[in-house]
Amino acid sequence: MTGRHIIYALLLSVAGLLIQTTLFGESRINPFGAAPNVVLLLIIVSAAHLEAEPALLVAFTAGLLMDLLGGSTIGMWAISFLVVAYVTLRVRRRIDDGLLVVAAGVLGLSVLGQAVFSIIGTLFGQQVFADPGWYRQIVLPSLYNIVLAIVLIPIVSRIMGGSDTRRLV
Amino acid sequence: MESFRRFDRSTSLFIGLLIVSFLVATVDVRSQGAGIGDTLRDGTQTLFAPLQDAVSIVTRPIVGFVDGISNIAGLREENERLRDQVGELEAQVQDVVGLQNRLEELERINGLDPPGDLLAITASIFSVGVTGFDHIRWIDRGSDNGVVPGHTVVDEDGLVGRVDFVTATRARVRLISDPRNGVGVRDLVTNETGVVEGQGSGLLRLRMFNAQESVEEGHLIVTQGGRYAPGIVVGRVAESASSEAGFSLITDVTPAVDFTRIDFVKVIVGWLPSEFAAPDEPSDPIPELPDPFEGN
Repeated sequence: MTGRHIIYALLLSVAGLLIQTTLFGESRINPFGAAPNVVLLLIIVSAAHLEAEPALLVAFTAGLLMDLLGGSTIGMWAISFLVVAYVTLRVRRRIDDGLLVVAAGVLGLSVLGQAVFSIIGTLFGQQVFADPGWYRQIVLPSLYNIVLAIVLIPIVSRIMGGSDTRRLV
Repeated sequence: MESFRRFDRSTSLFIGLLIVSFLVATVDVRSQGAGIGDTLRDGTQTLFAPLQDAVSIVTRPIVGFVDGISNIAGLREENERLRDQVGELEAQVQDVVGLQNRLEELERINGLDPPGDLLAITASIFSVGVTGFDHIRWIDRGSDNGVVPGHTVVDEDGLVGRVDFVTATRARVRLISDPRNGVGVRDLVTNETGVVEGQGSGLLRLRMFNAQESVEEGHLIVTQGGRYAPGIVVGRVAESASSEAGFSLITDVTPAVDFTRIDFVKVIVGWLPSEFAAPDEPSDPIPELPDPFEGN
């Protein structure tokens, strides 16, 4: 693991943010009123490849950038991404390889990230649960993330140096 | 031993960063859209806006393609729906003339300024919220164009939202669908007042104060001033309702604006709510920008 990989992870997060804000969301690609959370997915994959401390710092930085570019209170996505990265770090070596397990991992961690944001956001006045369709904003992006993971995981794995899919989730 | 020490370090870092995040969030909430938080947002926006513009050039055709595909699939259903609607509209045409007369009369009575009389500049939306939890849009006009926080934003259908953050060249519009947004409104038929609140996605929630009369499905709801320029269409009552306890009345409103299809908006720079307006300075001397729709 080198500093180069950390920079790659940060650049991937920035690229994810740019794609997230210009390609997905309302007025863009938004099937059934929700869009994938690209940055969250990249945090999961990065945490599967990086060492623990850099993975947490990348998650924190990407979360802050997401907060600054969005309309939420600064720190909300940082908390969410930190929790997701930490859990990914804890479970990544304990799960056997396999497409279904990877898919379940991406789904579970995405739901965790979206749910943590919703709960913490509510504590800070975000009023996420005022939306009658709040559960869609947790479940649908997580399902879309599985589809996106099929494309992104091989690319990110190659960039991060290695084709060891056992460490993905 | 090595892995135990590493586990400890990463957990310590995790807890440390969590505490920092909570502190940052608390400071941002307490500063209420000012201070270091806005400075950071300003810097990030300045940095990212050109990148977003560049990426948009690539992603726009993809969005258009996907939009086109989804439109084709829905065309047959849409055609049948429109046939039915034509029949209904023909029957309603007769009522419209009468309603228009009534609307003009009510506007005169209430002293509502038609939005068209207010100085406005056109802006295009170049970025949306980062996730579905964000009910915001970024527009390509900022303080250099006379946009300030508090300005009302509309499109051809009605009220879109309000500017809540501005950089030199960009501004963030918080949509009326945001649950943190409340809009003072008036039922144009009964003249009763109330407030419309966002619910994230879908319909808006309407609370009428001291409602003496019930609200009926289809009643037009417009802004009554206060935080938004007056007389702008917010939507129509989705479901008839009457007051149960005699104090308030709650129902849903279908927004006039389809938030998923906004590309261009008008920022009403000729009107500011009193909480933002300088006491002795009229907000007029802003030059009108060329309209990008002209010539199209």
